[in-house]
Amino acid sequence: MKKYEIAGIEINAVSISELLFNKTMLLAYFLLALGFYGVWEVFAERYFLLTANAFDAGLNPGSTEVAEAMKEAVFGAGGEVKREQPWTLYIVNYMYMIYSGSAIIFFVALSEIFNVKLIQKTAAGFITFGLAMVFGGLFTIAVDLNILHMHWMFLTPNIRAGMWLMLPLYTVYIPFVLFEIYLLITNRHDWAKKVAYGILLLSIVIDLIEYYIQAKLFNMNTARHLWTTYPMLTLYFIVSAFVAAIAIMILYSYFTHRRSLGDDFHALITFLRKSSLYVIALLAMYEASAYLFIDKEWGAIILFGEYKIYFYAYLFLAVGLPFILEFKEHSNNLWIILGSLSVIVGTYLGRYIFVYGGNAYPMSNRFGMGFEKYGEYEQAKEFIFFSPHSSEILVVVGSLGVVLAVYKILDTLFSVSKIREH
Amino acid sequence: MNYAMALDYQNCINCKACEVACKEQNGVQLGADKQRIWVSTYENSIFGNPFVAFHPSQCNHCIDAPCVSVCPTGASYFAEGGLVMADKDKCILCKGCMEACPYDARFVDDKYVAVDKCTFCYDTRITKGETTTACQATCPTKVRLFGDLDDEKGELVQLLKKRKFFVLKENEGTVPKLFYLFPERDTGFAENSIGKETTIHTWESYKPVIDRAIAKRRKS
Repeated sequence: MKKYEIAGIEINAVSISELLFNKTMLLAYFLLALGFYGVWEVFAERYFLLTANAFDAGLNPGSTEVAEAMKEAVFGAGGEVKREQPWTLYIVNYMYMIYSGSAIIFFVALSEIFNVKLIQKTAAGFITFGLAMVFGGLFTIAVDLNILHMHWMFLTPNIRAGMWLMLPLYTVYIPFVLFEIYLLITNRHDWAKKVAYGILLLSIVIDLIEYYIQAKLFNMNTARHLWTTYPMLTLYFIVSAFVAAIAIMILYSYFTHRRSLGDDFHALITFLRKSSLYVIALLAMYEASAYLFIDKEWGAIILFGEYKIYFYAYLFLAVGLPFILEFKEHSNNLWIILGSLSVIVGTYLGRYIFVYGGNAYPMSNRFGMGFEKYGEYEQAKEFIFFSPHSSEILVVVGSLGVVLAVYKILDTLFSVSKIREH
Repeated sequence: MNYAMALDYQNCINCKACEVACKEQNGVQLGADKQRIWVSTYENSIFGNPFVAFHPSQCNHCIDAPCVSVCPTGASYFAEGGLVMADKDKCILCKGCMEACPYDARFVDDKYVAVDKCTFCYDTRITKGETTTACQATCPTKVRLFGDLDDEKGELVQLLKKRKFFVLKENEGTVPKLFYLFPERDTGFAENSIGKETTIHTWESYKPVIDRAIAKRRKS
């Protein structure tokens, strides 16, 4: 294939149609279209919902808009954010995408340091996919936040808030990962030898900081005892992210390297399968002991209450089933693929329980005498469980489109999945 | 200055005049669950005798406020008198403060796409020379008393020196500044109408807690 070279980077000379209208990109567009429909729904609800306050009612007594807004206030279900459950599927997806994506990068960096040839050979593709997942997570959180006010993150920063610390972290992290990809695709053997260790060590440090900050973000919510009493939250994020990341790497390898890697493909899958078993075992040990430390109110809801089906489904899909399916080596990769799919669904469910579970015990028991009603026309709740809104689900689907589009564009231009040298 | 409020909660008759006054005074979004202040009702029975307790509440303006420390943009901040305020222009809607607040005192104002909460009418009344909040001024049974904890001779401190009181969710360590006055009569009933783990304080027992929390905040 004809290539252009800019600053030492070889760029494939592909046509616009090859770049933007291949099968993967068409699938990405479909997912993105669903996602942007969700975004439109969210923005319509957030910025164009008819609302009124007492001033409006006083100043515009005959206004039909005010009348509609008052009707909405009394009878409507408008407004996407509920007081009793501020963090929802957006946070679940953000956590899943960012943690799993950065865990892929972490794992590849670790493999580089330990000289794992199979991962070194395929590192560029894995890291690019990990980075694409980070962008998918950022897309989700960008929808969740009020983007119109984001400049205040720079103008009046609270540098001790976990939420703010994400900003400098990603502004360092993303260029850093891009630099790693640059080194890999430019085959800078000399650089790779001399500097790569430092870069990779720094990469691991940045990853660890990332996991620490994310743990801090949850830990700062002192009223949510599921999050604050979870022991070693940073470690939990690393372990569970690794479980998901390796499953994603197995699936990625199956779709990308099945034919192109030849004999090494089987060795790669076997290496990932074995790695998967170790981290699944670690996760099992963590989950078996973590709930001994968790606040009993939250623990009761998750282990024995309304969340128990989700919790045991999470354990079965993320730990039990894949461990059985992947324990023995099979000549057919189907079992490993099924195991990986099970892990991906299961670990997503785990994140879902973690976020929704943190909100599960209402804050409304202020006097210690029982739960108060949230709305005038509602029942008092002993636990909180919401199903995600359709627009949230569509935004999550859209984030998959972001992952596919970012990865595919980089792969088409730089053939990251085909780089075999290190 | 250290603004706070005492609530003689057993005087509450659930007329909701305070909620209406708050919405009217502060331009709070209309809607049943869009409240800066509220009265919750609790029904139960003791030895077969039914009772109903009304619990008027709002933001506790905690001295160690978790909502302030989690806010990434400083939209949640301590204003004069230790008031916990929310600047709607700076709010990026991360909802961290809503998660962090143990009292569920915050909500999203859909009109401004930002988090809203009680301000003790600081911007709408106190800075304009009033000495009461709208909820206090409108209450027919004199449930609320707004004042300054630093003013030893003030009405609020004098009341707290005279009456026992409790605060909500003390074990969260937020050092809240809504003081619920423990009834002087029928104390057995009163004890049963609040949680068993609730500590009944006197001014002497709670003042050091306030002082420690203020010293901690000044250090940070």
